[in-house]
Amino acid sequence: MKRLTPFSYFEPATLAEAVEILSGSKEKAYLLAGGTDLLIRMKRGEIAPPALVNLKRISGLSSIEREGQSGIRIGALTTIAEIEHSSALRASHTLMAEAATALGSPSIRNLATLGGNIGRASPASDMAPSLIVLKARLNISGPRGNKQVGLESFFTGPGTTILQPGELITSVFLPDPAARSGAAYLKLGRGGGMDCALGCVAIFLTLGNTDTEVKEVLVAVGACSAIPMRANKTEALILSGSLTDGHIQEAAMAVAAETSPITDLRASESYRRQMVQVLFSRALKLSWSRARSSKDTH
Amino acid sequence: MKILIELTVNEELCRLEVEPQQTLLEVLREALHLTGTKEGCGLGDCGTCMVLIDGKPVNACLMLALDAQRHQITTIEGLDNRGGLHPLQQSFIDAGAVQCGFCTPGMILSAKALLDINPRAGKEEIKKTLSGVLCRCGSYPKVIEAVLAAGEKMKGGH
Ligand SMILES: Cc1cc2nc3c(=O)[nH]c(=O)nc-3n(C[C@H](O)[C@H](O)[C@H](O)COP(=O)(O)OP(=O)(O)OC[C@H]3O[C@@H](n4cnc5c(N)ncnc54)[C@H](O)[C@@H]3O)c2cc1C
Ligand code: FES
Ligand code: FES
Repeated sequence: MKRLTPFSYFEPATLAEAVEILSGSKEKAYLLAGGTDLLIRMKRGEIAPPALVNLKRISGLSSIEREGQSGIRIGALTTIAEIEHSSALRASHTLMAEAATALGSPSIRNLATLGGNIGRASPASDMAPSLIVLKARLNISGPRGNKQVGLESFFTGPGTTILQPGELITSVFLPDPAARSGAAYLKLGRGGGMDCALGCVAIFLTLGNTDTEVKEVLVAVGACSAIPMRANKTEALILSGSLTDGHIQEAAMAVAAETSPITDLRASESYRRQMVQVLFSRALKLSWSRARSSKDTH
Repeated sequence: MKILIELTVNEELCRLEVEPQQTLLEVLREALHLTGTKEGCGLGDCGTCMVLIDGKPVNACLMLALDAQRHQITTIEGLDNRGGLHPLQQSFIDAGAVQCGFCTPGMILSAKALLDINPRAGKEEIKKTLSGVLCRCGSYPKVIEAVLAAGEKMKGGH
């Protein structure tokens, strides 16, 4: 039986208590949310946390709620399955459900949380690209109070973030998308999910006055650089012309050039680059057609 | 550091002492002797450790036992508390969907979670539902056949 080595265990009842434990403890304390990443790394012996702070007794961290007319707030402890099945998210941010469905297996999604997915800062995260193109902002609590940070500036490297000792993510805010917009998330992984992405692309697109004029576009690529990345150059190229097959092809070449995938045992660098092109073209066409058929919101 | 916890397993309340680092899988198998729940990988990949938490499939190897408090835990042993076989169990036997049987508890519990909500689930939905349970004997086609047949029986309201 694979077992976990002993650790000091904390079960704070409030956020304030959690922050106090995190910033007060002499030993490095790790946050425990769904555990689908943390417990595995512990069992594999990659990390040996002296202390775990279980967040699940803190109430109010696992709801999906509208914030007036401006957007929707997803608690950090919301499970990926809850995101997948949320009717509120399906109505306003369908992309979140699309990304959630791509993550792991149903039983993993029942445990895994959104906060844990972001907190892990995996370059291959299934949620990060979609969150980036939806302009997600993270609500963070810590010893110096609360703050809000755009997801795009949150990751600093594989497994590292801007979080300071004592800080944790409490929720994610997603602004409502503009009218005439569409989005898509596509992932390449083995056997329809259950596997870490070899490459993944999220696109959010808003149309202008005509069906081929792009008013705004955001592109994010995962598993092809040290952190989930925003493809700024590709976005600029898309905006420089109207949507035609040729222009989409040109943009696909740009996105492949803009990423910096690595060769590892899962896939080679050149394969990843080619696959990103394919995923990108498909995702752009899909978000385009969704934008055309959208009415007020996508 | 031993902690006294209460778990509701197969509708029975159990009080026991656990260490914080003990997984639900360890406690089910070693303290409660419910060995129908298996350990394959211990790392979330194989699904042989599947249990239902409030009716939803979860990998017991990735859950601390103390996090399973205040929830309804169902293991393969608790599938039919009336002493007979559950339609899924009977269908697995009828279809010959069991070879070595190691994956069977995970297959049956995952399928139960689906059929309880939607007994009319089709082949594609069944495949997606079972995607987290690996069968190294390769009995998938018969498993799907068995789940479809059980759905037929459960439509009548089991
Ligand atoms: C079989 C399997 C398949 C998987 N497939 C995928 C996949 O396809 N795509 C994918 O993206 N991931 C996948 N994963 C990885 C993992 O399940 C997800 O990343 C999951 O969302 C992690 O969430 P968690 O709640 O389980 O995190 P935990 O394991 O609890 O925590 C992960 C990390 O985040 C930190 N953390 C947790 N909560 C917070 C918070 N509120 N604020 C700050 N930091 C926090 C923890 O300290 C820890 O370092 C898979 C895992 C398994 C076991
Ligand atoms: S033993 Fe839990 S998933 Fe393999
Ligand atoms: S029957 Fe042997 S693993 Fe499935």
